[in-house]
Amino acid sequence: MFAMKWRKDDLEKYVQAKEYIDTILMPLIPFQLTNDEDIGKDAFQQEIMTIFANEIEQELSGRVLLIPSYFYLKDAEKAIEVERLNQWISETENQPFNHTILLTFDPSWRKHEKELEGDLLWLPGIQTGDIHSNEMQSVIRDQISQLSEIIRSYW
Amino acid sequence: MSEEKKQQVSRRQFLNYTLMGVGGFMAAGLLISPVRMAIDPVLKSTGAGDLANVGLSVDDITSEPQRIDWSIDQVDGWYESQVNRSAWVYRNDSDEIIAFSPICKHLGCVVSWEGSDQYPDEFFCPCHDGRYYKDGVNVPGTPPLAPLDEYEMEIKDGMLFLGDPKPHREA
Ligand code: FES
Repeated sequence: MFAMKWRKDDLEKYVQAKEYIDTILMPLIPFQLTNDEDIGKDAFQQEIMTIFANEIEQELSGRVLLIPSYFYLKDAEKAIEVERLNQWISETENQPFNHTILLTFDPSWRKHEKELEGDLLWLPGIQTGDIHSNEMQSVIRDQISQLSEIIRSYW
Repeated sequence: MSEEKKQQVSRRQFLNYTLMGVGGFMAAGLLISPVRMAIDPVLKSTGAGDLANVGLSVDDITSEPQRIDWSIDQVDGWYESQVNRSAWVYRNDSDEIIAFSPICKHLGCVVSWEGSDQYPDEFFCPCHDGRYYKDGVNVPGTPPLAPLDEYEMEIKDGMLFLGDPKPHREA
Protein backbone atom coordinates (compact mmCIF):
# COMPACT_ATOMS: atom_id res chain seq x y z
CA MET A 1 0.00 0.00 0.00
CA PHE A 2 1.38 3.37 -1.01
CA ALA A 3 1.22 6.19 1.50
CA MET A 4 3.13 9.31 2.45
CA LYS A 5 2.19 9.87 6.07
CA TRP A 6 4.39 10.79 9.01
CA ARG A 7 5.50 7.23 9.68
CA LYS A 8 8.87 5.50 9.53
CA ASP A 9 8.20 3.38 6.46
CA ASP A 10 6.65 6.22 4.52
CA LEU A 11 9.46 8.61 5.34
CA GLU A 12 12.09 6.09 4.30
CA LYS A 13 10.28 5.88 0.98
CA TYR A 14 10.12 9.66 0.88
CA VAL A 15 13.86 9.95 1.16
CA GLN A 16 14.27 7.61 -1.82
CA ALA A 17 11.72 9.40 -3.99
CA LYS A 18 11.96 12.99 -2.87
CA GLU A 19 12.44 14.41 -6.35
CA TYR A 20 8.84 13.43 -7.11
CA ILE A 21 7.24 14.61 -3.90
CA ASP A 22 7.06 18.36 -4.04
CA THR A 23 3.99 19.23 -1.97
CA ILE A 24 3.50 19.37 1.78
CA LEU A 25 0.08 18.99 3.32
CA MET A 26 -0.22 20.49 6.80
CA PRO A 27 -3.53 20.52 8.70
CA LEU A 28 -4.02 23.47 11.09
CA ILE A 29 -5.94 22.38 14.17
CA PRO A 30 -7.26 24.65 16.95
CA PHE A 31 -7.43 23.44 20.54
CA GLN A 32 -9.36 24.80 23.50
CA LEU A 33 -10.64 23.52 26.85
CA THR A 34 -12.44 26.66 27.99
CA ASN A 35 -15.77 26.64 26.40
CA ASP A 36 -17.92 23.57 27.15
CA GLU A 37 -20.37 24.24 24.36
CA ASP A 38 -17.68 24.18 21.69
CA ILE A 39 -15.43 21.37 22.91
CA GLY A 40 -17.42 18.69 21.16
CA LYS A 41 -17.80 20.68 18.00
CA ASP A 42 -14.11 21.53 17.88
CA ALA A 43 -13.13 17.91 18.35
CA PHE A 44 -15.56 16.93 15.64
CA GLN A 45 -13.94 19.34 13.23
CA GLN A 46 -10.61 17.84 14.04
CA GLU A 47 -11.94 14.36 13.30
CA ILE A 48 -13.21 15.54 9.95
CA MET A 49 -9.92 17.29 9.24
CA THR A 50 -8.03 14.06 9.91
CA ILE A 51 -10.26 12.24 7.46
CA PHE A 52 -9.74 14.93 4.83
CA ALA A 53 -6.00 14.97 5.26
CA ASN A 54 -5.72 11.18 5.08
CA GLU A 55 -7.95 10.88 2.06
CA ILE A 56 -6.21 13.60 0.09
CA GLU A 57 -2.91 12.06 0.98
CA GLN A 58 -4.17 8.76 -0.39
CA GLU A 59 -5.46 10.29 -3.60
CA LEU A 60 -2.18 12.12 -4.28
CA SER A 61 0.34 10.15 -2.26
CA GLY A 62 2.96 10.04 -5.02
CA ARG A 63 3.44 13.76 -4.83
CA VAL A 64 2.19 14.87 -1.42
CA LEU A 65 3.69 14.35 2.03
CA LEU A 66 1.33 14.67 4.99
CA ILE A 67 3.28 16.14 7.90
CA PRO A 68 2.23 16.44 11.58
CA SER A 69 -0.66 18.79 12.23
CA TYR A 70 -0.02 22.30 13.47
CA PHE A 71 -1.89 22.74 16.77
CA TYR A 72 -2.61 26.12 18.32
CA LEU A 73 -4.83 27.62 21.00
CA LYS A 74 -8.11 28.61 19.47
CA ASP A 75 -8.01 32.21 20.62
CA ALA A 76 -4.26 32.72 20.55
CA GLU A 77 -2.94 35.93 19.03
CA LYS A 78 -2.83 35.10 15.33
CA ALA A 79 0.09 37.42 14.62
CA ILE A 80 2.28 35.30 16.89
CA GLU A 81 0.92 32.09 15.42
CA VAL A 82 1.65 33.31 11.91
CA GLU A 83 5.26 33.78 12.85
CA ARG A 84 5.51 30.34 14.45
CA LEU A 85 3.74 28.71 11.53
CA ASN A 86 6.09 30.38 9.09
CA GLN A 87 8.96 28.85 11.02
CA TRP A 88 7.44 25.42 10.42
CA ILE A 89 7.13 26.23 6.77
CA SER A 90 10.74 27.33 6.50
CA GLU A 91 11.72 24.04 8.15
CA THR A 92 10.12 22.22 5.22
CA GLU A 93 12.27 24.25 2.87
CA ASN A 94 15.24 22.15 3.92
CA GLN A 95 13.86 19.64 1.45
CA PRO A 96 12.98 20.22 -2.19
CA PHE A 97 9.29 21.13 -1.76
CA ASN A 98 7.61 23.61 -4.06
CA HIS A 99 4.24 23.92 -2.34
CA THR A 100 3.05 23.94 1.25
CA ILE A 101 -0.68 23.58 1.56
CA LEU A 102 -2.26 24.60 4.86
CA LEU A 103 -5.60 22.95 5.40
CA THR A 104 -8.01 24.61 7.83
CA PHE A 105 -11.62 25.08 8.90
CA ASP A 106 -10.75 28.14 10.96
CA PRO A 107 -11.82 31.33 9.14
CA SER A 108 -9.59 33.55 11.29
CA TRP A 109 -6.53 32.50 9.28
CA ARG A 110 -7.99 34.09 6.18
CA LYS A 111 -7.26 37.57 7.47
CA HIS A 112 -3.59 36.61 7.62
CA GLU A 113 -3.43 34.75 4.36
CA LYS A 114 -0.97 37.18 2.79
CA GLU A 115 1.53 36.90 5.63
CA LEU A 116 1.60 33.10 5.42
CA GLU A 117 4.38 31.48 3.46
CA GLY A 118 2.16 28.62 2.37
CA ASP A 119 -1.06 28.31 0.40
CA LEU A 120 -4.05 28.49 2.72
CA LEU A 121 -6.88 26.17 1.78
CA TRP A 122 -9.83 27.17 3.91
CA LEU A 123 -12.87 24.91 3.98
CA PRO A 124 -16.25 25.78 5.42
CA GLY A 125 -16.51 23.44 8.41
CA ILE A 126 -19.03 20.66 8.65
CA GLN A 127 -20.81 21.65 11.84
CA THR A 128 -22.00 18.37 13.20
CA GLY A 129 -23.32 15.00 12.18
CA ASP A 130 -22.52 11.32 12.14
CA ILE A 131 -19.20 10.66 10.44
CA HIS A 132 -20.27 7.13 9.59
CA SER A 133 -23.58 8.02 8.00
CA ASN A 134 -23.92 7.62 4.26
CA GLU A 135 -24.84 11.27 3.66
CA MET A 136 -21.80 12.45 5.55
CA GLN A 137 -19.57 10.07 3.64
CA SER A 138 -20.80 11.33 0.33
CA VAL A 139 -20.42 14.97 1.44
CA ILE A 140 -16.88 14.22 2.55
CA ARG A 141 -16.04 12.36 -0.66
CA ASP A 142 -17.34 15.23 -2.67
CA GLN A 143 -15.29 17.79 -0.80
CA ILE A 144 -12.21 15.62 -1.08
CA SER A 145 -12.42 15.42 -4.84
CA GLN A 146 -12.86 19.20 -5.01
CA LEU A 147 -9.90 19.66 -2.72
CA SER A 148 -7.59 17.47 -4.73
CA GLU A 149 -8.74 19.34 -7.81
CA ILE A 150 -7.65 22.61 -6.16
CA ILE A 151 -4.33 21.16 -5.10
CA ARG A 152 -3.69 19.95 -8.65
CA SER A 153 -4.35 23.46 -9.90
CA TYR A 154 -1.32 24.63 -7.90
CA TRP A 155 0.90 22.18 -9.81
CA MET B 1 2.38 13.48 62.96
CA SER B 2 -0.24 10.80 63.31
CA GLU B 3 -2.52 12.98 61.25
CA GLU B 4 0.08 12.95 58.48
CA LYS B 5 0.53 9.19 58.72
CA LYS B 6 -3.18 8.67 58.45
CA GLN B 7 -3.19 10.75 55.36
CA GLN B 8 -0.35 8.76 53.85
CA VAL B 9 -2.10 5.53 54.51
CA SER B 10 -5.26 6.77 53.03
CA ARG B 11 -3.38 7.96 49.98
CA ARG B 12 -1.80 4.54 49.58
CA GLN B 13 -5.17 2.95 50.05
CA PHE B 14 -6.55 5.25 47.47
CA LEU B 15 -3.81 4.22 45.04
CA ASN B 16 -4.49 0.60 45.78
CA TYR B 17 -8.14 1.01 45.07
CA THR B 18 -7.36 2.77 41.87
CA LEU B 19 -4.95 0.08 40.73
CA MET B 20 -7.42 -2.62 41.64
CA GLY B 21 -9.99 -0.71 39.76
CA VAL B 22 -7.83 -0.71 36.65
CA GLY B 23 -7.00 -4.40 37.09
CA GLY B 24 -10.64 -5.26 37.54
CA PHE B 25 -11.51 -3.28 34.47
CA MET B 26 -8.87 -5.08 32.43
CA ALA B 27 -10.06 -8.47 33.61
CA ALA B 28 -13.58 -7.54 32.68
CA GLY B 29 -12.30 -6.51 29.28
CA LEU B 30 -10.63 -9.87 28.84
CA LEU B 31 -13.78 -11.67 29.82
CA ILE B 32 -15.98 -9.62 27.61
CA SER B 33 -14.00 -9.50 24.44
CA PRO B 34 -14.38 -13.11 23.19
CA VAL B 35 -18.14 -12.83 23.60
CA ARG B 36 -18.22 -9.56 21.78
CA MET B 37 -16.14 -11.01 18.99
CA ALA B 38 -18.61 -13.83 18.61
CA ILE B 39 -21.75 -11.74 18.50
CA ASP B 40 -20.68 -8.53 16.88
CA PRO B 41 -20.23 -9.02 13.15
CA VAL B 42 -18.63 -5.59 12.80
CA LEU B 43 -15.69 -6.74 14.86
CA LYS B 44 -15.11 -9.83 12.79
CA SER B 45 -12.09 -9.25 10.63
CA THR B 46 -12.44 -9.78 6.94
CA GLY B 47 -9.56 -12.09 6.21
CA ALA B 48 -7.48 -11.33 3.17
CA GLY B 49 -8.89 -12.96 0.09
CA ASP B 50 -12.52 -12.33 1.02
CA LEU B 51 -14.40 -10.78 -1.82
CA ALA B 52 -16.63 -7.80 -1.12
CA ASN B 53 -19.89 -6.93 -2.80
CA VAL B 54 -19.13 -3.53 -4.28
CA GLY B 55 -22.75 -2.67 -4.99
CA LEU B 56 -22.58 -2.82 -8.77
CA SER B 57 -24.83 -4.97 -10.90
CA VAL B 58 -23.07 -6.56 -13.87
CA ASP B 59 -25.86 -5.24 -16.10
CA ASP B 60 -24.64 -1.73 -15.37
CA ILE B 61 -21.12 -2.41 -16.56
CA THR B 62 -20.49 -0.93 -20.00
CA SER B 63 -17.47 -0.45 -22.18
CA GLU B 64 -16.91 2.94 -20.52
CA PRO B 65 -14.76 2.58 -17.38
CA GLN B 66 -16.60 3.73 -14.23
CA ARG B 67 -15.18 4.36 -10.82
CA ILE B 68 -16.52 2.25 -7.95
CA ASP B 69 -15.79 2.99 -4.29
CA TRP B 70 -16.35 0.64 -1.37
CA SER B 71 -14.81 0.01 2.02
CA ILE B 72 -13.60 -3.01 3.92
CA ASP B 73 -12.60 -3.56 7.54
CA GLN B 74 -8.93 -4.23 7.85
CA VAL B 75 -6.81 -5.17 10.83
CA ASP B 76 -3.24 -4.11 10.38
CA GLY B 77 -1.12 -4.56 13.48
CA TRP B 78 -2.26 -1.88 15.92
CA TYR B 79 -4.73 -0.29 13.66
CA GLU B 80 -8.17 -1.63 13.00
CA SER B 81 -9.70 0.53 10.40
CA GLN B 82 -12.04 0.93 7.53
CA VAL B 83 -10.10 1.02 4.34
CA ASN B 84 -11.56 2.66 1.29
CA ARG B 85 -10.98 0.95 -1.98
CA SER B 86 -11.74 1.97 -5.53
CA ALA B 87 -11.71 0.35 -8.91
CA TRP B 88 -12.19 1.28 -12.55
CA VAL B 89 -14.62 -1.24 -13.99
CA TYR B 90 -15.63 -1.86 -17.60
CA ARG B 91 -16.30 -4.52 -20.21
CA ASN B 92 -13.56 -5.07 -22.77
CA ASP B 93 -13.94 -5.93 -26.47
CA SER B 94 -14.14 -9.65 -25.71
CA ASP B 95 -16.99 -8.93 -23.25
CA GLU B 96 -14.89 -9.71 -20.19
CA ILE B 97 -15.37 -7.61 -17.08
CA ILE B 98 -12.18 -5.84 -16.05
CA ALA B 99 -11.59 -4.13 -12.68
CA PHE B 100 -8.39 -2.16 -12.35
CA SER B 101 -6.91 -0.79 -9.18
CA PRO B 102 -6.61 2.99 -9.62
CA ILE B 103 -3.30 3.09 -7.75
CA CYS B 104 -0.60 4.39 -10.05
CA LYS B 105 2.35 2.00 -10.35
CA HIS B 106 4.78 4.89 -10.20
CA LEU B 107 4.30 6.31 -6.71
CA GLY B 108 0.74 5.51 -5.85
CA CYS B 109 -1.50 8.43 -6.77
CA VAL B 110 -5.03 7.67 -7.91
CA VAL B 111 -5.48 7.54 -11.68
CA SER B 112 -8.63 8.60 -13.55
CA TRP B 113 -10.12 7.40 -16.78
CA GLU B 114 -9.70 10.25 -19.26
CA GLY B 115 -8.25 12.32 -16.43
CA SER B 116 -6.57 14.60 -18.94
CA ASP B 117 -8.28 16.21 -21.94
CA GLN B 118 -5.07 15.77 -23.87
CA TYR B 119 -5.17 11.98 -23.64
CA PRO B 120 -8.61 10.61 -24.39
CA ASP B 121 -9.12 6.84 -24.08
CA GLU B 122 -6.40 6.51 -21.46
CA PHE B 123 -6.05 6.40 -17.69
CA PHE B 124 -4.20 9.45 -16.46
CA CYS B 125 -2.25 10.07 -13.26
CA PRO B 126 -2.28 13.71 -12.14
CA CYS B 127 0.88 13.48 -10.08
CA HIS B 128 3.56 13.10 -12.74
CA ASP B 129 1.49 12.68 -15.91
CA GLY B 130 1.63 8.88 -15.85
CA ARG B 131 -0.55 7.25 -18.52
CA TYR B 132 -2.06 3.82 -19.18
CA TYR B 133 -3.94 2.46 -22.18
CA LYS B 134 -7.47 1.24 -21.68
CA ASP B 135 -6.17 -2.32 -21.19
CA GLY B 136 -4.19 -1.08 -18.19
CA VAL B 137 -0.77 -1.27 -19.83
CA ASN B 138 1.48 1.67 -19.02
CA VAL B 139 2.28 4.04 -21.86
CA PRO B 140 6.04 3.80 -22.51
CA GLY B 141 7.92 6.99 -21.79
CA THR B 142 5.65 8.00 -18.89
CA PRO B 143 6.80 7.46 -15.28
CA PRO B 144 4.97 4.18 -14.41
CA LEU B 145 6.96 1.07 -15.28
CA ALA B 146 4.22 -1.53 -14.86
CA PRO B 147 0.57 -1.98 -15.85
CA LEU B 148 -2.27 -1.29 -13.41
CA ASP B 149 -3.14 -4.08 -10.95
CA GLU B 150 -6.32 -6.05 -11.50
CA TYR B 151 -8.76 -7.01 -8.77
CA GLU B 152 -9.66 -10.61 -8.06
CA MET B 153 -13.26 -10.88 -9.07
CA GLU B 154 -16.35 -12.99 -8.84
CA ILE B 155 -19.92 -12.56 -10.04
CA LYS B 156 -22.62 -13.74 -7.66
CA ASP B 157 -26.34 -13.27 -8.33
CA GLY B 158 -25.57 -10.70 -10.97
CA MET B 159 -23.50 -8.57 -8.59
CA LEU B 160 -19.81 -7.77 -8.83
CA PHE B 161 -17.57 -8.93 -5.96
CA LEU B 162 -13.98 -7.73 -5.75
CA GLY B 163 -11.09 -8.98 -3.64
CA ASP B 164 -7.46 -7.94 -3.51
CA PRO B 165 -5.55 -6.28 -6.33
CA LYS B 166 -3.22 -8.66 -8.16
CA PRO B 167 -0.61 -7.95 -10.85
CA HIS B 168 -2.02 -7.32 -14.29
CA ARG B 169 -2.48 -10.49 -16.38
CA GLU B 170 0.19 -9.32 -18.81
CA ALA B 171 2.70 -8.39 -16.13
S1 FES C 1 2.45 8.66 -9.14
FE1 FES C 1 1.48 8.37 -11.04
S2 FES C 1 2.89 9.24 -12.40
FE2 FES C 1 3.89 9.45 -10.52
